[in-house]
Amino acid sequence: MKWFWCVFFAFWPIVAVAVCAIAPSVGWWLPGEAASPLGRRIDDLFYLILVITAITFIGTQMGLAYVLFTGARRTDPDVTEKTWFSHGSHELEVIWSTVPALVLLFIALYQLNVWAEYRVKDAFPKKDMEAVLTRLRQVRTDRDSVALAEVTARQFEWRIRYPGFDAQGNLLPLMQDPQPTDLYAVNDLHLPANAPVMINLKTQDVQHSFFLPELRVKQDAVPGLVIPIWFEAEQQRSYALLCAELCGWGHYKMKAQFVAESEAGFLNYLRTLHSAQNYDGVHQKIEDEE
Amino acid sequence: MRTFVTNCMQLSSMYSRGQKAFGRSRRGLMACGLTCALLTLLAGCGKPEFTHREEFSKLEPYAQEYIHEVLNQHFGTPTEMVVWERLPLKKHLSTGTVTKVAETELTLELSEPHQEITPGTEILWNSGPLKGKPSGWIRSWDHDTHIATLETKLKEMPEEGTQVIVGPGQVLVRGRHLYAVHCQHCHGVSGDGNGPTAEYLNPLPRDYRQGIFKFTLTQAQERASRVDLARTIEDGIPGTYMPSFKLLTPDESESIIEYVLWLAMRGETEYQLVRFLTEDYSKASVLDRVKSGVEKKKAGEEDYETYASIREEFITAVNDPEDMPMELDSIVELIVSRWTTAQEPEAVVAPQENRVAYDARSIAHGRQLYMSNDLNCVACHGDAGYGDGPQTYSITKDLETGKENEQPGLYDAWGKPVQPRNLHTGIYRGGRRPIDLYARVHAGIKGTPMPAFGAKLKDQDIWDIVNFIYSVPFETEQAGSGMQKAQEPAASEEEVAVK
Amino acid sequence: MSSIAVTHDAEAHSHHPSHGEDRLALLKKVHTFSTDHKVIGIQFLLTNIVMMMVGGALALGVRWQLAFPWEQMPIFGQLIAKNITMGGQISPEFYTMLFTMHASIMIWLVIIPVLAGAFGNFLIPLMIGADDMAFPMLNALSYWFMWPAMFFFAFATGIGGELTGIRGGMNGGSAEGWTSYPVLSALRQAAPGSEGGQFWWIMAVTFVGVSSMMGSVNYMTTIINMRAPGMTLFRMPLTIWSMFITAILQAFALPVLTAAGFMLLADRSFGTCFFVPAGIVVNNAEPTLGGGQPLLWQHLFWFYSHPAVYIMVLPGMGMVSDMLSCTCRRPIFGYKPMVYSLAAIAGLGFIVWGHHMFLSGMNPALGMTFMVSTIMIALPSAVKVFNWIGTIWGGRPEFNCIFLNSVAFVSLFIVGGLSGIFMAAVPVDIYVHDTYFIVAHFHYVLFGATLFSVFGGVHYWYPKMFGRLMNESWGKLHFFLTFIAFNGTFFPMHLLGIAGMPRRYADPYLHPYLEHLLPLNQFMTISAIVMGFAQFIFIGNFVLSWFYGEIAGRNPWRANGLEWAAPSPPGHGNFDVPPIVYRGPYEYSDPDHDSDFWPQWEPPVPRPSKAAD
Repeated sequence: MKWFWCVFFAFWPIVAVAVCAIAPSVGWWLPGEAASPLGRRIDDLFYLILVITAITFIGTQMGLAYVLFTGARRTDPDVTEKTWFSHGSHELEVIWSTVPALVLLFIALYQLNVWAEYRVKDAFPKKDMEAVLTRLRQVRTDRDSVALAEVTARQFEWRIRYPGFDAQGNLLPLMQDPQPTDLYAVNDLHLPANAPVMINLKTQDVQHSFFLPELRVKQDAVPGLVIPIWFEAEQQRSYALLCAELCGWGHYKMKAQFVAESEAGFLNYLRTLHSAQNYDGVHQKIEDEE
Repeated sequence: MRTFVTNCMQLSSMYSRGQKAFGRSRRGLMACGLTCALLTLLAGCGKPEFTHREEFSKLEPYAQEYIHEVLNQHFGTPTEMVVWERLPLKKHLSTGTVTKVAETELTLELSEPHQEITPGTEILWNSGPLKGKPSGWIRSWDHDTHIATLETKLKEMPEEGTQVIVGPGQVLVRGRHLYAVHCQHCHGVSGDGNGPTAEYLNPLPRDYRQGIFKFTLTQAQERASRVDLARTIEDGIPGTYMPSFKLLTPDESESIIEYVLWLAMRGETEYQLVRFLTEDYSKASVLDRVKSGVEKKKAGEEDYETYASIREEFITAVNDPEDMPMELDSIVELIVSRWTTAQEPEAVVAPQENRVAYDARSIAHGRQLYMSNDLNCVACHGDAGYGDGPQTYSITKDLETGKENEQPGLYDAWGKPVQPRNLHTGIYRGGRRPIDLYARVHAGIKGTPMPAFGAKLKDQDIWDIVNFIYSVPFETEQAGSGMQKAQEPAASEEEVAVK
Repeated sequence: MSSIAVTHDAEAHSHHPSHGEDRLALLKKVHTFSTDHKVIGIQFLLTNIVMMMVGGALALGVRWQLAFPWEQMPIFGQLIAKNITMGGQISPEFYTMLFTMHASIMIWLVIIPVLAGAFGNFLIPLMIGADDMAFPMLNALSYWFMWPAMFFFAFATGIGGELTGIRGGMNGGSAEGWTSYPVLSALRQAAPGSEGGQFWWIMAVTFVGVSSMMGSVNYMTTIINMRAPGMTLFRMPLTIWSMFITAILQAFALPVLTAAGFMLLADRSFGTCFFVPAGIVVNNAEPTLGGGQPLLWQHLFWFYSHPAVYIMVLPGMGMVSDMLSCTCRRPIFGYKPMVYSLAAIAGLGFIVWGHHMFLSGMNPALGMTFMVSTIMIALPSAVKVFNWIGTIWGGRPEFNCIFLNSVAFVSLFIVGGLSGIFMAAVPVDIYVHDTYFIVAHFHYVLFGATLFSVFGGVHYWYPKMFGRLMNESWGKLHFFLTFIAFNGTFFPMHLLGIAGMPRRYADPYLHPYLEHLLPLNQFMTISAIVMGFAQFIFIGNFVLSWFYGEIAGRNPWRANGLEWAAPSPPGHGNFDVPPIVYRGPYEYSDPDHDSDFWPQWEPPVPRPSKAAD
């Protein structure tokens, strides 16, 4: 029986590793390559840690299997080898304290700058974001927000407020308070692609979390706070947007989409919103714009 | 695994004698436990059921039975729906004609637009020699060539020109599945707005069963149009728990709408039937009739009513084609016609004039109209538009029964308290487009005390009110400013006394 | 190849339990208000096993919904009238109650009490040679305070309905997650569970906290003051070290949770706004007056709950060390490093709570500091894993249930610990936070590690509690099924998390990028059902061995600890004579000693004098 157990404990890590190895090919893996530059760096970090932990996992499980097999052999009736009477080994303790410590410290420090770029306001790519706004011909001053949309989470949907157009048809900057010219949408966020863009995240009621899995973006929405989030979508397509902080019974229902478009497309979208929002029933608009 | 267990058992019995007895009783326990486990697992199987109105339970049992039968016959249960051709709904995936017949491939000409035809869809023969015979089943549908490949070759192939129904009732079935996943826990199995989650929501979810939907672009006396329902599903209702289901596909949205309308029609049928029968056959009225019958009997008269006689009367009425069945028919006819006319373009509120410019003049005029005694908006919406007008704290009367409502304030058609809109929040539940606000003012809000002002006001005036409403959230002046200055504070008592 | 050999060591023979002696003496007192630490320990153990099945049932409800979304749910679908109308389909708020109460019950009514309350109570005086705890009455109270807590958690599920102030029965059960974040939990209108259910939840957590505090004070005092002569700190078994350090963790962390609980209660019931900002409108209620910070709750809660997770694993680590040492007939590899690692884990455990809050909106600079401390906490855990492997190395392992469960602890703790590194790395946490990756991690450490150590510990100390041995074959069957089904249920969760499947979702398949995960979830549910039912084998074994188990002597495992000097089960006062300790607890297979174990209480053999005086 003991050999069965030795094989048992040696076998299950092999199954685990095998499952992980085939997982990507059956879709039990990351939802595609990260579609944003920061997302790709996150994926790189993920794979780095995966390699390190895989090596550690295989190493320790092999070590465990080895001691199990040798231990089992030692209890065979014909074996006379004595049990090793040792209280430990100082040298080994030092080795297996310092080596993991160094590896761990490396992991910790190697990625600090990714985090900083993602969340520290001073490290936001402000120039690039302002360049986008310039290309969109937004009428702005330096003190205006660089955010292109205010996303307000509520139970159980995403309400989005865009800046509207002035009388001349130029894009206005997004103000903190709602403006008569603001444009509104729900569950459907459109922003320019291929450049860093920023949104302001708010919540009307409880905590929610803005989660774009394909871009590797996540940020909790906290009542009472307005949190800026920036990201850059590299492909002009629609991405899943969902909530990642328990907000009540409809937590799973907050299905929305983020559509990254060309800058011209984005302006077009805003104009469509504008005309839909100002529809007074007299123009013969039969088809809905959605 | 089995050998392992056997080995274990063998080994255990090889040990001490105590183990054997242990093992036997253990095995017995295991078997017992497994059976119990299976039984409890099966205890979760039931089917969803429609519920009845509260007033339904106040009817005599035979009246209840009758209504239950009628509903069952024409509507069925949630899992076994009856597709009643009479209802003005899109029920089937499509109808069409067979234009060409090959081995297992049929070329169909179908009415457009139709929902996606998925593998396993039924194809029902609606004319020709195959009518009444078992349906065919579609394995795949190519919508470019309009060729349906059947699962198996049929014994008797249809002729060209055969009328077919593809996916009979499937739109409603799909609707029900989607409704069960997305809507049921709030709106209830019967569309009664009383699902498990409903009691925690403010405002309550819509009860479809009177056929009334609040936020529509149709005239005040019309039902809602499909466009209205589609808009509600897509955009949600801001400020309530009705979320936006924007990411449903058009097919899914359509299926849900048809199912919701089906539930509304079923609800209306029940509602009208219950109303009709409550007059004479509710427990309370039967009791009255019997009481007066007892009186009559005491007075020596011959034709007095008893429980039995009333029941006989009912059964006769039900079986007399000129009586209950005709009444039922006219009820349904009315429902059908109202829903049909609501879908016509004429039913939609259509301003004749464009919205006027959003400027100070228009806003000022709009405020003037808002404050006017004629329109009396302030009675409900308050002087400053906070939704705190005098009506919100006076006792009002129920429109149907004429009785006074329990709590002070306004009530809606579903018997629940309702708040007039606070215009300062900038939340427009029925939509924020100018046409939406126009329709609110022109046609009122169905089911609520918000009246329709379309007859009273010109388009120009309504647009001015709309502009005023838009301006309210951005008002910076305090309410009351610009009006008469407050009077000097009253002289103190001492001063008066001195004087 | 032997699983169990009936022993006839010297002690067993001379103090042979006569047929008159009552092996179930302790068991017979469990319904009384006893201040005997052994009875209290068993009371805890029995209660916790029952609670484990309750918590497990709730988890099966969760798994059912994930495998068969919106299908009729067995049992649960028939508990509430409105669900029956829906044909047994549960409502979304019911689902949120399921996972909330599953976690709350498992954490506060199973894992924490079984380690500290059951094993801590039973073992501490025995292993250090005391006759009882320092405060026996306080000890009894700490058990009986669990009962209100259990009832309050039951009310929190909504099972009491209107009688307990909850509308809608179990649809209104506490549903804010075991983390109970405000504003969801602070405003009554924010969720169905936030009305009445949440009140009971807070009360239950408060009572559990009080119970734990009483226990921790007891343990610290007993261990410091009542050790037998010769039992220096560094001759204590690692079980005692772990219990001691755990008690310190509890003492310092719990008050913060209790305080936070009172603040939440005040917010809900007395109109304070500790956690509620201004202007929040939920469910069309009046806007909140505000002035509070939701993040404050998170800091306070995690300040307790992070040490709590170490409370939930440290005693298991200690017990596994003792069990491995005994079953492999080897001293612990690196006793002092093990002790220091325990202390380091506990100490570091106090400064890492922010890693639960990386994305919460707190200052990102804090994210960096917490990341460094969190990553460092992997180090003492790694050292411990190496030392356990070192303990088995060169030994003569007895492949019995105790050994198997302990090896499973090590093997699965490796997985749990390594998956933690992903989350400690903040950028990766951006992606995996609130996904199933987190769920996989904590189930591996709490179930895979701790619960297996509990199973092993029960097998190991059962003879001391009830004078009989548990059945080895059924124990191995239970282990086999549980291990395989556990991995079948929880290993795929890592993959689900990597695929981006969020936690606490009643229906993840609404989202197209998650639709393809349904078959995997169904496999996991089937594994979970197997795992759940396998526990009945354990319970059956546990109960039936009271009557039919092979009779055990004082020291069936030929172990060194002081507890094995006492009779099985020990009577009042524990030991026949107060023991004196002559050596450490891990002197197995000393080549200078004739037997392969040298109990702590055995006096040293007088050596012939080498030099003349």
